[in-house]
Amino acid sequence: MRGFLALGGLLGLIQTASIIGFAWFVSVLVTGAIAGQSLAELSGSFAALAAMVLLRAFTVWAMDAASAAGAARVKSQLRVAVLAGIRKLGPSWTQRRGSAATATLVGPGLDALDGYFGKYLPQLILTAIATPLLVLAIFLNDWLSALIVALALPIIPLFMVLIGMATQAVQRKQWDSLQHLSGSFLDVVGGLATLKIFGRERRQLARIRTVTDSYRTETMKVLRLSFLSGFVLELAGSLSVALIAVTIGLRLLDGQLTLAVGLFVLILAPEVFLPVRNVGAQFHAAADGMAASAEVFEVLELADAIPADAAAAAAAPAQARGPLRLDGVSVHRGDRLIVDGLSAEFEPGTLSVLAGQSGSGKSTVLAALLGFVPSAGEITLGDGPLTRTEIAWAGQNPALGSGSVAGNIALGSALAEGTPERVRLIEASMRLAAASGIDPEHELGVNGAGLSGGQAQRVALARAFYRWQELGTPVLLLDEPSSALDAETEARLLGSLRAAADAGAIVIVVSHREAVLAAADRVLWLETVHVD
Amino acid sequence: MLIENASLGPAAPIAAQATTADARDVLRHAQPGPRRFAPGLFFALLSAISAVALLACSAWLIARAAEQPQLAYLSAAVVGVRAFALGRAAFRYVDRLASHDAAFRQLAELRVAVFQRLIPLAPAGLARTKRGDLLSRLVSDVDALQDLPLRVVQPLLVSGVIAVLSVAGVWIVLPQAALTLLVCLVVAFAAGTLLHAAIAARAERRLAPGRGALMQQLLDFIGSLDVLLAFGAVDERLQELNRTDAALRRDGVRASLGAGLAASAMTFAAGIATLLAILVGAPVLEGPQLAIVALVPLAVFEVCGMVPLAVGAWRQVRTSAERVARIAPAAVPSGIPVEPASGDQTAVAPAAESDAPRPEAPAIVLNGLSARWPDLGGRDPSLAPGVALEGISLTVAPGERVLVRGESGAGKTTLANVLVRFLDYEGGFTLGGREAKAMAPGELRRTIGLCEQNPWIFDSSLRQNLLFAREHATDAELTAMLERVGLGEWAGSRGGLDAELGERGALVSGGQAQRIALARALLADFPVLVVDEPTANVDAAQADALMRDILSATSSADAGAARSVILISHDAVPAELVDRELVLSAGRLVSTGGL
Repeated sequence: MRGFLALGGLLGLIQTASIIGFAWFVSVLVTGAIAGQSLAELSGSFAALAAMVLLRAFTVWAMDAASAAGAARVKSQLRVAVLAGIRKLGPSWTQRRGSAATATLVGPGLDALDGYFGKYLPQLILTAIATPLLVLAIFLNDWLSALIVALALPIIPLFMVLIGMATQAVQRKQWDSLQHLSGSFLDVVGGLATLKIFGRERRQLARIRTVTDSYRTETMKVLRLSFLSGFVLELAGSLSVALIAVTIGLRLLDGQLTLAVGLFVLILAPEVFLPVRNVGAQFHAAADGMAASAEVFEVLELADAIPADAAAAAAAPAQARGPLRLDGVSVHRGDRLIVDGLSAEFEPGTLSVLAGQSGSGKSTVLAALLGFVPSAGEITLGDGPLTRTEIAWAGQNPALGSGSVAGNIALGSALAEGTPERVRLIEASMRLAAASGIDPEHELGVNGAGLSGGQAQRVALARAFYRWQELGTPVLLLDEPSSALDAETEARLLGSLRAAADAGAIVIVVSHREAVLAAADRVLWLETVHVD
Repeated sequence: MLIENASLGPAAPIAAQATTADARDVLRHAQPGPRRFAPGLFFALLSAISAVALLACSAWLIARAAEQPQLAYLSAAVVGVRAFALGRAAFRYVDRLASHDAAFRQLAELRVAVFQRLIPLAPAGLARTKRGDLLSRLVSDVDALQDLPLRVVQPLLVSGVIAVLSVAGVWIVLPQAALTLLVCLVVAFAAGTLLHAAIAARAERRLAPGRGALMQQLLDFIGSLDVLLAFGAVDERLQELNRTDAALRRDGVRASLGAGLAASAMTFAAGIATLLAILVGAPVLEGPQLAIVALVPLAVFEVCGMVPLAVGAWRQVRTSAERVARIAPAAVPSGIPVEPASGDQTAVAPAAESDAPRPEAPAIVLNGLSARWPDLGGRDPSLAPGVALEGISLTVAPGERVLVRGESGAGKTTLANVLVRFLDYEGGFTLGGREAKAMAPGELRRTIGLCEQNPWIFDSSLRQNLLFAREHATDAELTAMLERVGLGEWAGSRGGLDAELGERGALVSGGQAQRIALARALLADFPVLVVDEPTANVDAAQADALMRDILSATSSADAGAARSVILISHDAVPAELVDRELVLSAGRLVSTGGL
């Protein structure tokens, strides 16, 4: 970052020098020609002018390249850091924040930084360097023109701030209605099938027209003010150029000034206003990037406050097996107490069912076992604390990713793709999950798109069975495993769970289905925690 | 089986058969007509002319003043300088207002045109995505097309006209200087765009798919973070993400280098144009004229500096237009029933608008019916066609309540889509003896209604979400209906019919959305009602109650003859609630037993 600013500063300096040099040699050449010098006499100045042109073109390119590279680097660094932060914050945080919103922040949100680093910041650097130097160059030749520029310059930020404040008030007032109006087309397009069912689709054509029209009216109200800031910028710039031209002209008439100075100042005057204008033009692009980076820094701060995840670093599953014990486990979500001092013991070889009303904290108990939510009390397996490497889990949401079905099932597997052992385990797992009818080579889209709800659920179950078989995890946790399955498939799944228990696993299933309750060795009923 | 849990990566290919003609048609709708476009263009031209004239006039003024003539000879130039300075800013302000207003007006036309294309396609002709990601991208693409008049056509036209006018103006002073200016302009335009294309085009083309891939991996990573943690696969995914990000970074830098080169070429050409003008003008021109030809190129190139930006904007606009054309092709793909072209909408008003009691439900007879989804041509898995139906024969007597049961992937939703004619069929399908194909789909949908698996909740009040099913219903009728579908208490706690339901029904649970959809269907009073997987997005614990409420609400006594109900579900329902149960498997009816 500091390197980028230094490089940008240096390039800005060179660019300013080339601008001054260009103006100088143009005025020298024009006055020389008027004074009757021959082309041969002027050849040195022509060469110098060409050099200035080349130098300016080069710095324009170099500034662009440097800022693009800088923007990309900063963006990547932030992206890597925020992903590490998200990992630390964990799934309960991403669910609360919304995964789509979080993905948008890390993806397109950070891309908006291009506007800030790539376009806004270079112009800001240029403004800081070029503007005072150009004013100084004018001052050294003609103090009156420098005074005009120096008086006009502060008007620009002043008016921009004033107008910005005025528009902000208007925008705040209209923001809700604007948001609503701009979202309305999406609402109608999304609900098109529903509208067709009720024969209302054609009627929307007129509505789209009227709503878009009121969107236009409302937006134009805002724009009339917003564009004023651009107007002030242009006006300050062009009026001071005009004023300088006229005063120079009048003083030339009196012979108080030479033509060379007059031309030099006239060429430089518009250049003084150029960087400020560009900063104004890039301001909105920058604002988006600023907003995104502010959000990213919030996430990073949150993540920094969390101690490093020690449990995740634990080694291979403990070989010593014993019962899974919960001793006075309590879980809060925000201010709400969800699980209140739960104590229970699960022996290897048993199939247990957690049942209870929705909201009684069944899934929260599993999240506590997995360490996704902080919990009070003790959770132990045999002699030591329970770690994630000892659990095979299938949650309520299948959470499949893009890639093949087989790739999804063997998630996190140490076995290389294509090894016979892996193929065998995938097949066995799909059989256990009653998913044999699904093609393991079938390619899924993002979030497992391309499977029906029931199919996705069975693939997620197969994934848990795969882990259980490959690592021999002592604990198998399944959350509502049969909610999207028909009775026959459910029965086959229950057979698999029984087999897993018989093989020595601690099987814990969250379910309210009759068939699952009937198959259990024991049922734990959870009561909703009522707070007085 | 309609695939519901799909969402697309941002750059997923939609269909192969998109034609450039289709995209051109979309672009035509995005560009305002001459009458609407002219005011903005006119003022933009005046502003640009003022900018060039300001510098030319100032140069002349100074150079002439150096010759120390009478003040009177300069007064016209003094007035001109001030007028052009004012004009440049004022005309620009008017131009921006006029051209934005025109672009917004055109947006209404464009939206209507795109919506008209979508009407025959929805829902079976559109990719099936749960969260409407595809559609929200379509909508933002449509909005992005506003850039066509604002950032492409107008800047290009203004630059072109200014280039021609300036060359002509300089020609009057000195033809040789005009020629050098012309050459510099042409070289700058060509070099700017060609250099850019040579360096950045390939990288730029990779950018959109790269961003799509990154977004897809991000959604996978964040959406499945719990699973990745539980399965110890986080590091592997993070590395993959970082690789994608690095590739994207390289392409992004390369694309900006190209854009930077184009800008640099413009700067270079502007300087060289000044140099050449002095070179050819110095031996032959008087002072004031020489000052003009030396300084005018600077102003001209400032105006024409918009060209590389406009070319870049054009690439984006074209991509958006292509995507819109691909998602919403003008030609309806085969397999989607086509609505007759008659614009006679009054004939399609739902039956509910009349106060007459519901007519008797017609007998529905399917005879050897088969149906398949249109192939939308993409290789994206979420676009894979749904399950086809084969040889379905089924009779639903008036007033009968039939459960069609089947596993996921059995073709249940295909059947629902065929029954309301969202999807075409082969074989026989009659209502009360009339062949369904002989009726306009809109007409058929007055008789057969559907409660969708994912009913759309409009971002509006509860009242508005019900009223469109029966426009003249009173609040009392609506409240009674909410009571009937089991939403009475909930609506009361939310503040009644004025309760806002949020964007995409954000404030409504899956079960409540189903009940609202049911209330709509009952308000519209369809004689035949198809209910598609009402419990698919409902908390398992509440599914049973919902199913029971739906079946009792559809049968509770109201005016008119008994309603036929075709309930589609993967779950069994209590026997007393339905008359008959059928089982669908792999696109075929395997049992048609009674209960």
